[in-house]
Formats: sequence, C-alpha cells, structure tokens
Amino acid sequence: MAATHTTNPVSVPGAEAKVSAPGPAPSRARRLARAVLPGPAPGANGAAMYRRWWLPWLWTAPAIACAVIFGVFPFLNTMLLSFTNAKPLGGAYRFVGLDNYTRMLDDSDFWLATRNSILYALIVVPLMVLLPLLLAVLVEKNLPGIGFFRSAFYTPVLASSVVVGLSWQWLLADDGLVNTWLQKAHLIRSAIPFLSDSWLILLSAMGLTLWKGLGWYMVFYLAALGNVPKELHEAAAMDGAGAARRFWHITVPGVRQAMMLVGTLTGIGSLRVFTEIYMLGSATGGPGGADRTLPFYIRDVGLDPITGNAGYGSAVSVALFLLTLGLTLLAQRLTKEDEA
Amino acid sequence: MRAKRLTRTLTCFAVLSLTAAGCGLSGGGSDSGDATAGGCKVDKGNVGSGKLTGEVKGDITFQTTNLKKDFGDFFNGVIKDFETAHPGTKVKWIDDPGDATFGQRTVADAQACTLPDVLNVDSPTATSLTKAGYLLNVGVKDPDAAKPFVPAFWKSSLMKDPSGASVHTVLPWYTGGILLTYNTDLLKQAGIDPAKPPTTVFGLFADYEKVAKAAKGKFYATMANPVWRIPADWDQMNIKTLSADGKSAVFADDPRTVQWVEWMTRLYKEGAMPKDSLSSSNDPSTLYSQGKVAYGSTNPSFVRFVQQNSPSVYDKTAVGQQPFDALGHTTGAPQYIATAATSKNAPTALAFSEFLTNAENQTAWCKDPKVVIFPTTSASLDDPFFQKVTGDDPFAQARKLVAEQLKTATAYQTNISSAMQNAIVAQVQLAMQGKKSAADAVKDAQAKANEMLKQSS
Repeated sequence: MAATHTTNPVSVPGAEAKVSAPGPAPSRARRLARAVLPGPAPGANGAAMYRRWWLPWLWTAPAIACAVIFGVFPFLNTMLLSFTNAKPLGGAYRFVGLDNYTRMLDDSDFWLATRNSILYALIVVPLMVLLPLLLAVLVEKNLPGIGFFRSAFYTPVLASSVVVGLSWQWLLADDGLVNTWLQKAHLIRSAIPFLSDSWLILLSAMGLTLWKGLGWYMVFYLAALGNVPKELHEAAAMDGAGAARRFWHITVPGVRQAMMLVGTLTGIGSLRVFTEIYMLGSATGGPGGADRTLPFYIRDVGLDPITGNAGYGSAVSVALFLLTLGLTLLAQRLTKEDEA
Repeated sequence: MRAKRLTRTLTCFAVLSLTAAGCGLSGGGSDSGDATAGGCKVDKGNVGSGKLTGEVKGDITFQTTNLKKDFGDFFNGVIKDFETAHPGTKVKWIDDPGDATFGQRTVADAQACTLPDVLNVDSPTATSLTKAGYLLNVGVKDPDAAKPFVPAFWKSSLMKDPSGASVHTVLPWYTGGILLTYNTDLLKQAGIDPAKPPTTVFGLFADYEKVAKAAKGKFYATMANPVWRIPADWDQMNIKTLSADGKSAVFADDPRTVQWVEWMTRLYKEGAMPKDSLSSSNDPSTLYSQGKVAYGSTNPSFVRFVQQNSPSVYDKTAVGQQPFDALGHTTGAPQYIATAATSKNAPTALAFSEFLTNAENQTAWCKDPKVVIFPTTSASLDDPFFQKVTGDDPFAQARKLVAEQLKTATAYQTNISSAMQNAIVAQVQLAMQGKKSAADAVKDAQAKANEMLKQSS
C-alpha cells in the first residue's frame, strides 16, 4: 500500500518527480505548499506520509485556545492590572508602578489575611493527606456492609458548600447540637463560642473543609491502595509486622505519589478558601474581619463595584499566586529530597 | 525552524493579548469620535444632552431578580400590554436567580457591553453602573420622567456619573417600607407597652435593655450583627455617614456615633442579643419565628413570613412606627429600573422602563396578595388601597403606617458600598467584643471608609 501511494501521488501533482529527481532546492512557495497541502509527504512511508508538522497543533488547537482564553490571558491581564489603579467597572486607569506592591507591605489587613491563609494550609494539608488515607485503609476491605460506610464518608462531597455551611452553623451555634450535647454531658458549663470567637471560627472552617474533602480523597486513595502489592503485606505479616508497622512501611511508601498529589491539591485549595469562612463568619469574615483569607481580602479590596480597586486586588492576587507557587515548589523539593 | 516559528507566533499572541488587555481596560471613550458609554460603542442619541428620539420598535431584554416564580403572570401581562400598545416591539424577560454573585455578574455584563436593555437594580448596583457610565441618563433623555414619582424617591435616584455630575439614571420602582415588628407577649414580659413604641433609636435600645434584663438569656431583644443597623440607624438619627459630595466619611465627627456604638456594646454584653449572632448573616426571621427574639425584621414582608411559618407567633405579632428620631420619618431604599445606555433600541427600552414603573402598573403589583410592597408614584399612594385601610391585622396596620409617611418623606437611605459597610461593621464588632473602645472603633472605621473612598476616586 505504501509503495502504491508513493508512486501514485493523490493530490500533489508533481510530488513524485520532486522526490526522485535531485536538483535545485524547491522554491519557498513550493516548500510551503508541501508543508501545508494535504496528501502524502514526499520521502515518507506508511502513515507518516500523511503526517504534517501542523497536524498535532490542529488537534490540540481547541484545548490551547481554551487554555489561552481562560488561563493565560486572565493571568497576564491580572499581572498587568496589578501595576495600575484600574477599577472593577473599567474606565480610565493609569500605571502606578510598584505602588500597589509597596502598599501591600504596609497593609496590616493583607498580612492578617496572609497569616490566616498560611495557617489554613499548614493545618488542613497534613490532616487532609493523612485522614483520608486512614479512612481508605478502613474501608478498603470488602466486608459485608462496607459500601454503606464508603457512601456515608463520600456523601459530604456531593453536598453543596452552602448547605454544608448552613448545617455547620446549626451544629455550632450557642444553642446548637454540639454545645447542647457537651452541656448535657456536663463537659462544659457555658456554650463554646464557635461562631463568635475569631480563632474558633477559623478552626471550625478548617473542620468543615476537612469534613467535606475527606470522602473525595478517600476515593483517591482507594484507587492508589489497589496498586500496593498484597504480597508485601502478607510477607510482612508472616515476619511478625503489626498493622501499624505495615501501614508506615508498606502502605505509606506505596501511596507516596498519591499523597504528594493530595498534598499539592489540598495546599492550593486551602490557600484559596473562601466559602467556609463566608458561611461561618459572614460577609465581614468573622468579627472584626479577623478570619479573612487572601481570596476574601481580594474580594473586599478589589471587586466591590463602588469602592473596589481592581489594581490593588490584582496585586494581592499575584501575591497569592506566588505564595501558592512557592508552597508547591517547596513540596516538590521536599519530595525529591525524600526520594533521594 | 518550526519550533522557532511557533515560539515567534506564541510571543506575538502573548503581546497581542497584553495589548488587548490594555485596550479592554482603557474604556471611557475612544479617539474615533464614536459615542461611547462605559467603554462600549453606543448610538449617539443614547449619551450626551438632548431628548431621546426614535421609534419605539424592535426587541429588548428585561432582567429582574427572582420574580418569575411568584409573579410570572403579572409580569407577562405587563409585557403583553406593552407589546400591544407598541406594535413591532418584543420584550424578552430574563429572571435572574438573584444570588450573591448577581452584582458581580451584572458588572461582568456591563464590561462586556451586554447589559440587558432594561434591568432591575438595587441602589449599590445602580450607583456603580452610573459611576462607570453604563446607564442611560433618563433625567435628560426624558425631561418628563420625574413627574409620576414621589419627590423623595425621584431624588433618591440621583447618582454620580463618570465626571462626578449628579444625574438621574434610574426610575424608582417599589419599596419595602420600614416599621417595627415585635412579639407583644415578650414585650409585656419585659414590662414594655407594645402600644407605645419608642420614638428614638436610643429609646429603642433602652427597650432592648429591658428585654435583656427580663429575659435572662431565655429570649433576646434583637440580633447582634451591626450590619442590619448601619447606616439605617445613623440615617434615622440624622448622623451623616458621608459628606455632602460623597467623597469622605464623616460619621465619626458626630458624637452620637460613639454613643450608638457604646449602646450596642452594652446591649451585647448584657445579653440583649445572641452572642453567636455577632458575625452571623442570619436576620431575626428564624429566631423570631421560634419566639426567641422580641423584635423582628423592619420589613413589612417579614410579617407574612411569620404568618406562613409560625402562626402561633404571628398571633402575638404587632407592628408599630419605626422610631423617626431626629430625621422625622423613615428612610427608604427603593428598587430601581435602569435603562442601559448600551441598548440598541434605547427608545423602546426607555418606553418600557416608564411603562413598567407607571402608577397603574405599580399600583396593580402592590395590590398582589402575595407581596407587601409599596409604590413610589404619587398617584399610586393616593389609591384607596393605601389610604383607606380597614382591619386591624398586622398587614393592614403595616400598610397604613408605611403608606402615610411615604408621600411626605424627604430623604432616602445613605448609599454606601458593601465593602465599606463591612469595614465599618467589622470595627463595631471589635468594640462589641470589648477588643476596642467605642471611640477607637468609630475612628478606625472612618479611617478605613476614607481609605476605600480615596482608592475609588
């Protein structure tokens, strides 16, 4: 077939002659035509005859276009905006150099939001890496009724963040379920101010994030656990290793890559947390705005149509991006060192 | 070679993207001499001085927020009437869910030059769209536009355009009204006469204190989050939140502001408000319906909520006049109908805006038994439905109390941005928790508000 095609060009008249007869270099127009026009490529065999350099780009063009329109362009636009005093509703703007960045350095609200975001990541990430793994180990075995527990752990993932937030408000209110139980059990005398103390609001929001994410990452780990050879567990058990020892020395190394991925994804998610704080701390971000995270702060300073400053909001967004990038690179470096 | 070519192409694309971003940002008009509004090219007649002329014809879009479910028949009827009165017109009704992102989505529509031709907006959204130049100056485009409306409501539609000039870019639509709602049973337990509501804000606070002392934590007077009271209470006390030109915050200059914060702090400490409601987004509806809060929302529609959700509490519910205090009447923040300056059929859009907000249609909607709202047109308020109220149920009383003052109201609610409101509220919350003195909280709140105003100017 290939030979037939080579000797019978289908759509580029004269191609055969050009292949077989050495001579002066083809003109620029001919080279372009050869590269662009359909039909067999000269001097190629098999499927390669019909392959053109631009074909892969053609197939990936929709994906590239989406990435550029929804990812690259907004990112570059945000970078550009961060050096301006642009307003959320557009209108005239001017470049202000590094003013937005120097303002950030002296902005105590920005640093408070940064502290909250970092704290959120530092507490949530390790727990989110470990707890779903433990859950996955618990529900991994095919026991009667295990499906119920798997479903139960996964259910919070399906619930809307707003509904979950409202449920947690009811749970954590002064006369909510948690305080009522604790009081009835005589463990506390007065209600714990889960929803009015800024530290407790932040911790409660972290709890909400964990509760909602456990099921998702549990499923993730269940898939990863399937790749850990059972023989290793059997051999270790025969050698007298207990469950905890086997977990640390077989299971954890076996799912190390999955743990790193969960850690990275959770880290990015934690730095971007908004809904949980909004649901438990309302529009101010807790009393006095003390629980605001960086995305919350970006909304406050950058997006308000009347008093917002899109330029400053963009500068804070860039800071959030750099923080996320820094933590991700740090995690990657730690992984490499660990593996080495 | 190909890789280099690709790199060059991508570089060009990136540069073009950056340039495009710059173009998108610049807005505010072009050098070509075309008419622009908020950076969008528009028909010359839509901007500048001079009455809007042109045939009322063609298709327009009309956007409301969350009205189709309950009032679909009414609005479809209004649209049909308009289309019949103006052959050749077609109104496409879009009913947005009106969730928390509505404002931001409207802003995105405006930036993309795709605002609906006619849209329902609240005061903050109207202010921001006017400031960016996206709305038709109805005061100029139809010099008779003001005629049907109560003067105070027409005055409330005065907003600053991109040049800082005050213009009327919206038509007043309906207002919810403000009044006191309370549980007479709980007030009696606190030794308060429900028939004699207080006449000042601090008088109301004194009643809250009585409730706190009598209830001893079994029930509360109201909710703690100051977001429900700022700037409404200050307006009522005639405390100026902003300067006359709207360019600076001045509430700290009035000593009564500190007194107000001191009252709130004392009430919170004494248990007049649930501790966990300090930064909660929940209004009193739920707790009031459970009989745990003595004073309900200041919105007449709230009475209907109680009737539907808690008949036993409804039986104990009464309404009274909101304390007029230094202002002498309550302040309203009506809903508005705006016409987009970017409309391709601006004469039709403006005609529909005026048709929708005329006295006849406002009166008809306000009489709908599913809603407790009030019209903003003088003729509607003269209707016997509002003037000759019979019956002593809370609804009839609410209608009577609100309608009788709407015609004579002379001021309207101060319009501050959500971000600024949150910044002020946050400082008051710190004072209520005892983390700051009232004086410091007010001073810091004003500083933060001024910082926001400065960055937006």
